[in-house]
Formats: sequence, C-alpha cells, structure tokens
Amino acid sequence: MADTSASPRIEREDDGKPRILIVDDSLTVRMDLQQAFDAAEFDTVACDTLAGARAEIARQAPSLVVLDVLLPDGDGIDMLREIKTTMSPAPLVMLLSTEAEVSDRVRGLKTGADDYIGKPYDATYVIARARELIGVAGCLPKPAAPRLMLIDDSATSRRHFQSILEGAGYSVVTAESGEEGLRTAFALRPDAIIVDRFLPGGIDGDTVIRRLKQDATLRDTPCLLLTGATEDGEELRILDAGADAFLGKEVDEAVFLARMAALLRSRIPARAVDASISSLLGTKKILTVDDSITYLNEVSTELRQEGYEVVQALSGNEALELLEVQSVDCILLDVGMPGLSGNETCRIIKQRPALAGIPVLMLTAAEGPEAFIEGINSGADDYICKSSDFTVLKARLRAQLRRKQSEDQYRLIREELHRKEIEAAVTKADREIAQVRAALVDELETKNRELETFAYSVSHDLRAPLRALNGFSNALSSQYNDLLDDTAKHYLRRIHEGSLRMGQLIDALLDLSRIARRPFDQQPVDLSQLAAEIAAELQAEHPQRQVDCVIAPDLAAVGDRQLLRIALQNLLANAWKFTGTRESAHIEFGGRAQDGERVYFVRDNGVGFDMAHAGKLFTPFQRLHGMREFPGTGIGLATVQRVVIRHGGRIWAEAVLDKGATFCFTLRAA
Amino acid sequence: MTIDKLILLVEDNPDDEELALLALKQGKILHDVVVARDGAEALDYLFGTGSYAGRDVRLPQVILLDLKLPKLSGLEVLERIRANPATALIPVVVMTSSSEEADLLSSYRLGANSYVRKPVGFEAFSDAVQKVGVYWLLVNQVVAARRA
Repeated sequence: MADTSASPRIEREDDGKPRILIVDDSLTVRMDLQQAFDAAEFDTVACDTLAGARAEIARQAPSLVVLDVLLPDGDGIDMLREIKTTMSPAPLVMLLSTEAEVSDRVRGLKTGADDYIGKPYDATYVIARARELIGVAGCLPKPAAPRLMLIDDSATSRRHFQSILEGAGYSVVTAESGEEGLRTAFALRPDAIIVDRFLPGGIDGDTVIRRLKQDATLRDTPCLLLTGATEDGEELRILDAGADAFLGKEVDEAVFLARMAALLRSRIPARAVDASISSLLGTKKILTVDDSITYLNEVSTELRQEGYEVVQALSGNEALELLEVQSVDCILLDVGMPGLSGNETCRIIKQRPALAGIPVLMLTAAEGPEAFIEGINSGADDYICKSSDFTVLKARLRAQLRRKQSEDQYRLIREELHRKEIEAAVTKADREIAQVRAALVDELETKNRELETFAYSVSHDLRAPLRALNGFSNALSSQYNDLLDDTAKHYLRRIHEGSLRMGQLIDALLDLSRIARRPFDQQPVDLSQLAAEIAAELQAEHPQRQVDCVIAPDLAAVGDRQLLRIALQNLLANAWKFTGTRESAHIEFGGRAQDGERVYFVRDNGVGFDMAHAGKLFTPFQRLHGMREFPGTGIGLATVQRVVIRHGGRIWAEAVLDKGATFCFTLRAA
Repeated sequence: MTIDKLILLVEDNPDDEELALLALKQGKILHDVVVARDGAEALDYLFGTGSYAGRDVRLPQVILLDLKLPKLSGLEVLERIRANPATALIPVVVMTSSSEEADLLSSYRLGANSYVRKPVGFEAFSDAVQKVGVYWLLVNQVVAARRA
C-alpha cells in the first residue's frame, strides 16, 4: 500500500474512528474480526471474558460491541442487558452466536440487541452491518474530500490507482470483490465508484454496475469501469451495463484524474435518502423456514455465499415468534411442514400489518398448478420448486427484494406527495380563514366607526334643536308671561317638558350604545359589595322611602366591573321604583346554583307585570307601565340585557301581576 | 365691573348663540361678547388675520368654544390657540352637546381649561353659562396677554 500518511482517509485521526469492542472466547474469531475491523479503519479492541469487556468499557466506551453469547465467565445476554440499561448513550450491540436455537436469537433481540448474527459468520457481512448500524447512528463523519470507492481484485492495481487518487487529494476506500464492494458502497455512500471489469467469482464489473444502477439509494453514484484492451462493440456493452464512463487500465495518470474530476462534476447532488428505503446492496437478512435441517443448512450456505445473512426457523410457529423481534428482508417458506403449514404461516404473516410488506417465497417439493395456486392464494409473492437450481432461487430472491425496494420507494413518494397536498390544503385553509377573519375584523371596525359617528351625531346634533325648543319656550313663558293666557302657558309647558323628555331618551339611547362600544375589562367583581353600594345610593336619593333590602354576602363574579355596575344599578333601581306603592317594600339580591350554573337574581314585591308581556321586557323603549305612574325611558332592561350578553350569559324574568317580579341572570365570562 | 373684559363665543348654531347670550343677560353678565361663527373666523379674530387683518381687537378674557364647527373643528381651533404664544394662555372652556369620552380626553389633552356639556333644559343651560361667565370673568385671574 502506498504511503498514505499525508492523504485523506476515512477518519484522519484515531480519536475520530469508531471504537469496536469484540468479546469472544475463540481466539480465531477475535483475530479474524479484529483484522477485518482494523482494515476497515475502525479502532478495535478484543477480549475473551465478560470481566475483560467490563474493564475495556470502563476504560473507554465503544461505539459498538460484537458480543458472543456463551462466554467462560457468564452469559452475554446479561452483559447486553447491563450495557443497555446502565450506559447512556448505550453502545450498539451486535450479538454473534451459533444459529442452533431460535430462542437465543429471540431472547437477545428482546433484551435490546441491535442485531444478531449467526455463526458461521461472514466477516465482510459483519463489517458492512457494523458500518450500517454506526452510520445510522450518525457516527461516521463524511470526509471533506470526495470519497471514492475502488473495486479491484488485484492488489498491485489497487495500490496503483489508490496512490494516484490519494495523491490528488481524494479519500479512497477499496474492496477486493464485487460482493464486498457493493455492501461497502451501501454503507459508505461514496461519491463515485471505480470498478475493475474483470473480477473473480460470481459478480464481474458489469454486474456490479448493473446492480448499483438498479438500487434506489446508489443509482445516482457515478461509475467508472476499468477495462483491459477494448474490442469492437465492447463500448456499447459497457455503456449498456450503465457505466457512466470507462477507461483502459493502462491509461495515463493525468487523463485518469481529469476523467475522474469530470465524472464527479456531472454527479447529481446527493439527495437525502430516506432511511426507510433499504438499499438492495445493503446487508440483507433472509428468514428461511423449513422442518428439514439438512435443507435449511443447504439453502443457508448458498445464500451466505451470495452475501445474505440467514436466519433459520424450523417451524411456522418458530418463524412467527422470531418475526415479532427480528426484522427480515425476505422470507423463504417451506410449504409442507408439520404443524402450521407453509400456506397457513404465510396467511398469518400477510395479515399482520407490520409484516405484510415482507416478500414471501414459497418453496415446495411438488410441482403442479394446484400447489402453485394455493400458495399464491395464501398471499405468497412467489412460488419456487425445491428441485430448481439454486441460481433460480437466488434470482427470484433478488427480484423480490428489488420489487420491495421499488414499492417502498413509490410508497414514500406517494406519502410525500400526499403530505405536500395536505400541507398545501392546510396552508390554503389557513390563508382563507385569515382572509375571512381580516375581512370580518375590517367590517366590524367599519361598523364600529359608523356606530361611533352615528352616536356622535345623535349626541350632538339631535340635542341642539331640543335646546332651542326648550330655551325659547322657556324665554317665551318668562319674558311674555303677562301676554299669555293659561292655555298658552299650558302648551308652552308641554313643549318644554317634551323637549326635556326627548333629551332623556337620547341620553338613554347613547348609554345603551356605549354598552356595546366600550372595551371589555375582565376582572373579579364582588357583586354583593356593588349591590350594597347601589342600594345605599338609592336610599340616599329617596330618603323618605323605607325599603327592606336584603343582599346575600360574597356573591362573586368575573367580568367588567363598570358594566356589571350599570346592570345591577338598573335592576335595583327598577325594583326600587316598582315597589314605590308598597307599604313595606322588600328587595332581595341573591344567587343560587341551577343546572351547574350560577344564577343571580333581583327579587321584589312590587307591582310585577303580566307574564303575557314578558317577551317585550328587554326591547328598547318598551314599557309595561304608564308613564305617569312609573316614569322611565324604557331603556334600562335593554341595557341590562346587553351587559349580560356581553358576559356570555342569559337574562329572564318571572313575575305575577301585583305580587312582584324576579329578574334572573347568568354570567359566563370566566 | 371692568368693562374691557371680553368673551369670545365660538358657536355656529344661531339658536345656541342666542340662548347663550340670553343666559348671560339673565345672569347680568354685561361684558362684551364677540361671536365667531366658525373655527376659521375665531382664529382670524384671535390672530388678526383674514377679515380681522389690521384691525386692533381686544383679546378675550375667556373663550367659549363649541366642538362641532364648520371648516375648522373646535379641537383644531383649540390646538392652534395653544400653539400660538399670543393666545396660549387664554382660558378656553369647551361647551358642547357631546359627552363622548373621546371628546373629553382630546379637549383636556389639547389644553382646555374646562369642559361643559350643554344641557337640553334651558334652566340648567342658563345656570351653566352664568357660572362659567362669573367664574372665568370675575373669580379667575389671568395672565395679562397682549398680541405679539
């Protein structure tokens, strides 16, 4: 490897590297994993006992713990529980144990393990999964320099291109095979990928690029294919695979770098990839369910070779139990199992909302349309004969995973569109409400201004002529008294009194309009005290009257003190007035609870009124008594009603002619 | 009785003008009364402008000011009186039909010395005019003001 001390790396300083703690009593496992993690630029420590692990954790908290379950000095699950309950933030924990018992996996995941990997494990899988977990947790900072990924099986070739790229300031990550490259690409999300066309094993460079381009999370990553000698027609095939560019391996360094720079410039700006779209190339977990251990192991081996992580279950029930805690990307389900059959298991899976989206492939020994139809009817996504070649199984599996990814992606797009639609509708509704409200406020302000103007002119303009009527009739009767006979004097007096009365009416009308116009000042009000003050004033105005006035103590309300005073003043003054002909007048102000409401009342033993006319009581200028007997403007009760309404309350009256009246009201301002 | 004391009555309504004069007469307040029929005329008189330009007029002892006036409103007149050093210290009594709180507030804010609401009943009106006349002409002491 070239000298990289001055070049950008994934993590430049030791401190920035995620720390991995490996806890396993097997020396070979420790060595193998430590080597793999070190190579992947992690800061790795390993130990063989729980005691050793505790000491390491105490020394420096790791980002991730790879933890064996069976250890010489105890149970790994206990350690897991200890980590997850006592540490904050708790490190990620990946359990690494034999696949023998489904219950171990269930127990581990239920205790809070972030993942469970069965032995025999694949080191590149463990690394890729670690990168995914840590990356999700946000522990892998992206370097400032563009990060390139180089996939080449030749160590010489890798060193050559790595040193050129690092010399130009790029950060470089390498992979030796197509499988490793694809997994690492998903975990690291490089800015561009350089692939050697000729790779050993199942996946060559063309395939790597094809799979990258099929993946929603990586399809926009530019790919450069390195080729040997190019023959006629090669170029077409290369571009057909989806490569953005290709270069011969013997290319000139300057040309290579220029091409690289152009490729990076052409890159579509990175989209925020939604975490719920799983990459096709990320680590994939497949649950295989079969009652035959032999077949399970056979399938597992094949799938692990392909880079999948395999979880095994021996029955439908075991599979369902597992699925409660273990998320998987695909399920391979044997049809002919004792107990819960494959079709029944499939039906249950598809009925559970959390599981229904997982593709299910049914495996059957039998060929024939009946089995196929039954499988599809139970909700399976595909149906494969066990006798088929494993390559068929693998291809169908990939197809299902791809379909799932597309579905997820479209679902996300749909949800996003839907969300935007809702947002737009809400914004529109808000805007409309605001507009309507503004218009109403506007209208209200206009109306209020009109009312002000009206009240002002009533107050000013209507009174002036009255003053003239009154003044000049007065002047006439005083200055020409000798010239007028009694009838003329009587007429003049009527003119005089009429103008005075009209003045009173105008003032009363103004007072009424002020009730609606004045600002509402809400505060606690002691109604008992207010009533007592008013009663004392009334007594002072009519010192000759003997009125027995009973005021209940501590009647409190919340409202506008001034308005409430006006209301009580009118009610008590009315009671005072209409008991004027009584030998012993009684007036009572009290309160009672009625239907969960506070009801206040003013009761008198005055002349009362006929309930047949109760409907007219609160209408301005409506009077139920003769002017001579009980003078008044007919505006008092209308005023009281306005005050009560402004407090959100109601007012009503009960009376018996010649026996007395009771006015009741509620206030709901509080 | 000092005869050179003068009342300026600013009133556009001829009825109110006549009633005010009648009230003063009944109250034996026999000082000169100058009547201005709108705000502009009142200011012309006070500032010696317009039809009063070049005429030597006496400044009033008190101004009885209606608020609702044609051309310039009573409040505007009040503001101009207070803004002019020659008239700034002359007592102004607002006499109006309005009992709106807004008018009361504006009048006092602009420097009115008194605010009287004209009652409808002549007896009460006459009583108010006489009391105002007696107080501002006879009881109250003013700063001797001369046209600048």
